[in-house]
Amino acid sequence: MILPLADVPAPEIDYRELSPIMATVGGSIVVLMVGLLRSPFARRTLVPALTAVTLLAAIGLTIWIWEPGDREPIIVRALAMDTLTLGVSILFFVSGLVTIVLSLRSDAPREAGHGEYYSLLLGTITGMVVLAGAENLITLFVGLELLSIPLYVLCATELRRRTSLESGLKYLIIGSVGSATLLYGLALIYGAAGSTQFSGIETAIGERVGLSDPLLLTGIALAATGLAFKASVAPFHQWTPDVYQGAPTPITAFMAVATKAAAFAVFLRLFDSTLGLSQLQWAPALAALATATIVIGNVGAIAQRSLKRLLAWSGVAQAGYLLAGVVVASELGLRATAFYLAVYLLMNAAAFAVVVARERVSEHGDDLASLELLGRTQPWLAWPMTIAMLSLAGFPATAGFIGKFYLIDASVAGDYTWLGIVIVVGSVVSLVYYLRVVAVMWMGRYEVELPGLPRRRVKPVAGWSPEADARAQPEVAAVAIVFAAATIAFGLAPDPLFDAARDVGTALSNLR
Amino acid sequence: MDVVWFLVLSAFIFCIGAAGVIVRRDPLVILLCLELMLNGGNLALIAFARMHGGEAGQIFALIVMVIAACEVTIGLGMIVAMYRNRLRIDVDEMSELRG
Repeated sequence: MILPLADVPAPEIDYRELSPIMATVGGSIVVLMVGLLRSPFARRTLVPALTAVTLLAAIGLTIWIWEPGDREPIIVRALAMDTLTLGVSILFFVSGLVTIVLSLRSDAPREAGHGEYYSLLLGTITGMVVLAGAENLITLFVGLELLSIPLYVLCATELRRRTSLESGLKYLIIGSVGSATLLYGLALIYGAAGSTQFSGIETAIGERVGLSDPLLLTGIALAATGLAFKASVAPFHQWTPDVYQGAPTPITAFMAVATKAAAFAVFLRLFDSTLGLSQLQWAPALAALATATIVIGNVGAIAQRSLKRLLAWSGVAQAGYLLAGVVVASELGLRATAFYLAVYLLMNAAAFAVVVARERVSEHGDDLASLELLGRTQPWLAWPMTIAMLSLAGFPATAGFIGKFYLIDASVAGDYTWLGIVIVVGSVVSLVYYLRVVAVMWMGRYEVELPGLPRRRVKPVAGWSPEADARAQPEVAAVAIVFAAATIAFGLAPDPLFDAARDVGTALSNLR
Repeated sequence: MDVVWFLVLSAFIFCIGAAGVIVRRDPLVILLCLELMLNGGNLALIAFARMHGGEAGQIFALIVMVIAACEVTIGLGMIVAMYRNRLRIDVDEMSELRG
């Protein structure tokens, strides 16, 4: 019997706009299959190369379909491939490329299997693109979980290291609590608005649903909590330092940048655009969260000895700065947030590349002491770290300064001048720990008493010497130098990034 | 029946799950409690789907079930990996990362 399948109307899919997602999904499957081959060449060289090709292709496709303005969502209005999605997608792809380079000599892919490792990396990138483009509550949740679940595994990929497993399980438990809270919030928003489409919710608010409808407000609060877990916004940040320290360092670098960009993209789309009408209701709460995050992140970073923990706490503080761009719900805020996310990628990639390079050769692991006198012995690593730290602190002539300036400008224009002042005060406090890193590198021994970390034994290999090994990882130093140079370049001539941010700003048409 | 009763029940299930995650020490029980939290959300979704009509809420609930299964699978895999490394399976003992 032939089933009457021909009568089923298939949804219309714009394959051109879907192409970046198809590239990463296809690449993920191919990489997994190639990883099954027996030859070491295929596993160690071909798999990372194919992953890199996939990401480069995805970047190319993204630029190909780049079109400013409010785009009609594709696939039954579930996914918007507008400039906001595409802009942050480029950040995901670039940080994926950085992760590949940093992973080349790392233990994690060897222990977990090269195919699996890189396939999961492409999987989580796919989830990020879906999350950033979600125009529907269901797509949002699926994207969030597609982002999170591979990332839990990636954190635990150094299977024989106890801390890696610990960080994976911690991230899984806390991340799932965040997802469940978000789901409950989304359910309440759906219940109040009667639609899972963002456009449907937007029209329902203010028409059928009152702005202070308790169901809607509870839903917004729970959804914000769930997303705050992902973006490591205080007081939902406690997992961040532990997970960042325990995870393999290339994955930490990826999480720090890409997960944050994805979480803020969905923050911008859901809050500024869809729930924009009730901005007066949610903005004070988010502004309070931003203030708490800036204070807690900067204070928490001061006492850290481990570089990975220090960067984690600094990431918490930076999430607070970024949240200011969401609070104002204006086109300027959207542009400033997108600009800062791009700058954040540059600074963090440079910093984490140096941490990876030092961690592999130094007996101190990722301790601050591993950087001692780096300025004299290895200036090609010390300069990128210095630039990254100064840029994170917001020094003039670096891209971080312009990013912060842009965010403060947006907060002042959006009647949140006090939030701009909080950003400035936070940046001043942050100098304490950023400059300490710089001082350790250039000025010698690290004398301040701080709680110690257990010393790490470095694996001796045949003919091993620290200097030889340091020179034997040129790709890591290259990442550090390229991204530090870009930090300075965009600090002096930010116009290309401004233009891109302006394009991203046109994506959500209903902003002020 | 009024939709409020379903909401009250779903909120109860969600809170029991959340309390369990905080109080219990065994990762297996924590995974069970995470399931409870997600299923609280599911019940709310289905109740609202019934109230509004239309299929979106029910599809959402189905997809959530699939995702919850994935999450638990990953969690169990990690617990097995810890067991193989002869680590104590107790979240209070997992304190190598702190500070």
